[in-house]
Amino acid sequence: MPSTAFDPQSLYGLAATLLLAIGLGLLRSSWSHRGGRSLHRLAGWLAVVLGVGTFVQGFGGEVGTTYALLGLSMVAFAVIAIGLERRAARERPQREIALEPEDRPTNWPRAISKSLLAIVLAGVASIGLGVAFAVAMPLAPTDRIVLGGLLVPVLWGAGMAWTLCDARLVRATILLLIVSAVGYGIAFLPKVLS
Amino acid sequence: MNRQTDAKPRKRQFLAPEFVRAMLAGHSALGLAFAALIYIVCLSGTLTVFMHELQRWEQPNAPVIDGRATPQMLDNAVRNGQAQALKDNAAHDLFVMGPGTLSPRMTVNYHDHETGVDGSWIADAEGNLVARIKAPWAEFIANLHMALHLPRTWGLFLVGLTGVALLSSLISGLLSHPRLFKDAFYFRRGGSYRLQEADVHNRLGVWGLPFHVVVSLTGALLGLSTLIVGVLALAAYDGDSEKAFAEILGPRPSEDETAAPVPDLQAMIAQVRAQHAEAVISSVHIGHIGKVGQIVTISMRSPGHLPFGNPYIFDGNGKSLGDGGQETGSVGQQILGVLQPLHFGWFGGIPIKVIYALLGLALTVVTHTGVTIWLARRRDKGRPVPGWERVWAAVGWSQPLAFATTAIAALTIGHSRVWVYLATLAASLLLARFTPDGEATARILRLLSGVGLTAAVATHAWIWSGYVTDAMAWYVTTALLATAILIAGPAVRRPRAATSSRTVPA
Repeated sequence: MPSTAFDPQSLYGLAATLLLAIGLGLLRSSWSHRGGRSLHRLAGWLAVVLGVGTFVQGFGGEVGTTYALLGLSMVAFAVIAIGLERRAARERPQREIALEPEDRPTNWPRAISKSLLAIVLAGVASIGLGVAFAVAMPLAPTDRIVLGGLLVPVLWGAGMAWTLCDARLVRATILLLIVSAVGYGIAFLPKVLS
Repeated sequence: MNRQTDAKPRKRQFLAPEFVRAMLAGHSALGLAFAALIYIVCLSGTLTVFMHELQRWEQPNAPVIDGRATPQMLDNAVRNGQAQALKDNAAHDLFVMGPGTLSPRMTVNYHDHETGVDGSWIADAEGNLVARIKAPWAEFIANLHMALHLPRTWGLFLVGLTGVALLSSLISGLLSHPRLFKDAFYFRRGGSYRLQEADVHNRLGVWGLPFHVVVSLTGALLGLSTLIVGVLALAAYDGDSEKAFAEILGPRPSEDETAAPVPDLQAMIAQVRAQHAEAVISSVHIGHIGKVGQIVTISMRSPGHLPFGNPYIFDGNGKSLGDGGQETGSVGQQILGVLQPLHFGWFGGIPIKVIYALLGLALTVVTHTGVTIWLARRRDKGRPVPGWERVWAAVGWSQPLAFATTAIAALTIGHSRVWVYLATLAASLLLARFTPDGEATARILRLLSGVGLTAAVATHAWIWSGYVTDAMAWYVTTALLATAILIAGPAVRRPRAATSSRTVPA
C-alpha cells in the first residue's frame, strides 16, 4: 500500500498489518478451540480494531478505512493458508456433515414464476423504491439521487434472496406488488398532481 | 455458501436450520442460474484491474512520463488534441488524462456524437500527440467486463443485473452460514471433496466479503444507472435523462455552437491551486470545445482521497461554476466520486491493483466452487450429472484460453474480435463433448491455456523485439508466463485416483 519503503506511511501500514495479523491469529486460536478462549477472542478483536485505527491514523479516514478492509481480507487469507489442515482421504468426521439445501419439488412453470418474481418483479419494486427516495427525500438533489440509486441494487438483491428462499409464491407476489405500487405512487405523485 | 455444522449442536443456533436450508436452496438456485455470467464478469474484471498495464504491453514503444501533468503540458495537449480533432472532423468533446493518475501516460481522447467519429492518442511530455492508442486486447477485456460485447445499453444492463445477482448471492450465502465465526479459519484438504470445496468457497467468500460487496454493489449501480436515471427522468424530469444526469454531474455545455477560443487552462488551474495548494492535476474535459457554450472540467486530486480527482467546473470565459464536491462535499457527491476507483481498484498504484486482482480472483474461485459443490453433492447423492460437469469445466477453463487466443488475434490482426472469443468457447464446449469426464476436460483446457498464453507472449516478443521502451511490457510478459505455468502446471501432473466426487473438475 505505501509507495516507498521507509516513509511514515509505510511504517503505519506495516504496524497496522502486523496488528491485524496478531488479531486474526488470536481469533483463530479462540474460535478453533472447543468452548472458545474468551481472553484470546477479546484480545483478538482489540488488535483488529487497533489495526484498523492505525491504518486510519496513517492514511486518513477515507483511504485508511479502504486499506484496512483490503488488508483484513489479505491477512485473513494468509492466516487461513498457514492453518491448512491435511487429512487422509475418505476421513469424514460426523460433525462436519454439511446441512443440505431444502429439497423442493419443482417444475418448469414454478421455476419460470420464481425467476419472474426474483428478477422482474423484485427489480420493478426496487427501482420504484429507489426512485421514490430520489424524488421525495428532503435532501440535496445529488444526495437523494445517488442514495436512491444505491438503494436499488441493495433492495433488488435482498428481494431476490428472499423470493428465492420463500416457498410461497403468492405471498412474495402480493408483497412485491404492494411495494411497487407504493414506490411508484410516491415517485410519480408530484408529476400527477402538477 | 455451504456450511458445516455439528450433528448434535450443543446450543441453539442463531439461525434456525429450516431457515438456513431454505436460504441454501435459494442461494443454490440463484448461483446456478447466474454462475456462468458472474464467473465471466468476475474473471474479466480481475484482468480489467490491469487495463492500463495491458495497454502499455500492447504498445510498449509509446512514451511514459515521470510525475504529474504540469499546467503547460496539459494546455499543449488540449490545443494539439483540438487541432487533430478538427482534422478528424470530431472536435466536439475533448478529454485529456494526465500522467500519474491511472498510468504514467498522457492520453487525449475526442469524440463527436453527431459525426460518430472519435480518436484516442498518446501524448509526450510536451503535449505533442505521438501515436494513436492501439490496445485492442485491453479494450476487448474491458468491454467484456462492462458490457459483454453486447449493444451498450443491453450489455450494461445485463452486467448490472449480474452484479445484483452476485450481491443477492452474498446476502443469501451469509444467511446460510450460522457458524460464520466458528468455521472462520477452517481450511482442510483431503477427505470429502465436497467439504474441501466448501471450505475454499466459504473462507474466500466470507473473508473477502467487504471487497465482494463493494465491487458487486458499485458494479450493479454503474450498470443499472441508465435504467434508474431513465425511470427517475420519467418521474421528475419530463422524461429527459440528460437533465437528470446534469443534476448529478453538474453544468452541461449549452447548445450555442458559435466559435470561441479555448479558454486559458493554466489560469483555471492556478485558481484551483489558490484554494487547494496540494491538489495535483488528474484530467481535463472540455464539452463543446471551441464553442461559446463550452464547459471546462478540470479534475484535481488532493492527498488522502480516493476519487481520481474532484471536478472543478468553468464556463468558456474561465468563470468558476463550482466543483463536484467529490472530496469534501455531501455524502452523495462523495459516493459518486469513489464509485469507479473502488470498483476498479485504480486508486493506490500497483500494490492495490495486485490486492484487487487477488480478491477478484478469490471471487471468481468462489463462483466456480459454488457450482462444483453442487455437482459434487449430486454425485455424492448418487445422482451425478457428468454432462454438466464437463460443461462447467469447459466454461471455467475456456476463459484463460479465450483470453490467450484474443491476445494473439489482437497482436497479429490488430483486433480482438468477439468471434475469436466465441469460437474458443464453442470449441471448448465441443471438446468437452468428447472427453470422458469433467476432470479430463479441465486438464486439457488448462494445458491448452498454458500453451496459449505462452504463445501470446511469444507473439508479442516476435513483434516487439528490439522496440520495447516501456519496462511495464517486461513485467506483464513475466506475469503472463507465470500465469501460464500456474494454470498448466497442476494439469501436467498425473490425475489422482477418484474418490466419491473426485471426478468433478477442480
